[in-house]
Amino acid sequence: MSNNILTQNDIQYVDYKDTELLKQFVSPHGGLVSRKRLGLTAKQQRSVEAAVKVARFMGLLPYVQK
Amino acid sequence: MTTDETAILDTEVAALPIDDGVAEPLEVSAVEPRIYEIGYHIIPTVKEDDVEKTVGEIRSAIESAGGGPSSGGKATFIAEGAPSLIKLAYPMSVREGEKYTEYDRGYFGWIKFEAPASMVAVLNNALKSNLSVLRFVIWKTVREDTRAKIKPPTMREVKRTDIIKPAPRRAVAEESAAPVSEEDLEKALQDITTE
Repeated sequence: MSNNILTQNDIQYVDYKDTELLKQFVSPHGGLVSRKRLGLTAKQQRSVEAAVKVARFMGLLPYVQK
Repeated sequence: MTTDETAILDTEVAALPIDDGVAEPLEVSAVEPRIYEIGYHIIPTVKEDDVEKTVGEIRSAIESAGGGPSSGGKATFIAEGAPSLIKLAYPMSVREGEKYTEYDRGYFGWIKFEAPASMVAVLNNALKSNLSVLRFVIWKTVREDTRAKIKPPTMREVKRTDIIKPAPRRAVAEESAAPVSEEDLEKALQDITTE
């Protein structure tokens, strides 16, 4: 069974403000988790990456969690 | 490669606006309004009453950047998130005059609006010069609400075979709930004692 969170919850767009959602795509240290682990499609992974990077820039997510 | 495939590729190349001679598609997209969102942090030293004033400045910057006759279009607001003081994930330093100041919190708010692509650069400069804005981002988005509505995690249903049925207990509870007359009670007591 695929563990694709976006498809399971019928999420079309990934918003950079949705930190609770984005936290599910980053590791405990704050790094992006690979597509292989997340089970996302290539398009979804790209949108997640973009959203996480903007969220980091805006100080909503950490670059590195110590 | 078959002839059909080359035909598809040719059309794709023709549709791309990177050709030197064909600048028309680029110009069309510049005039066409797009949906943008501004996310901003207002510095926490601004008083709470003045936060609204700063938001008003941002709004007027959007209006003036998108509403000018040179830009060929006007900005219309779609949605807005009111600024609220949040803790930043890491301290941000901003240059204020000759020294750098670090902030660990900020009033985060956002505005979604429709405007032509040409106004983004103008707006970018306007926001950069605003000293009350700690940091901002201009993000191309869609008209729909993009914030996800996640369903709460549901427990997976598992068929169990070793469940003790509570049916007889419930029957007793129902009986006891009904009003019992004193005569019936005495009768019942007598029955028990005679047994």
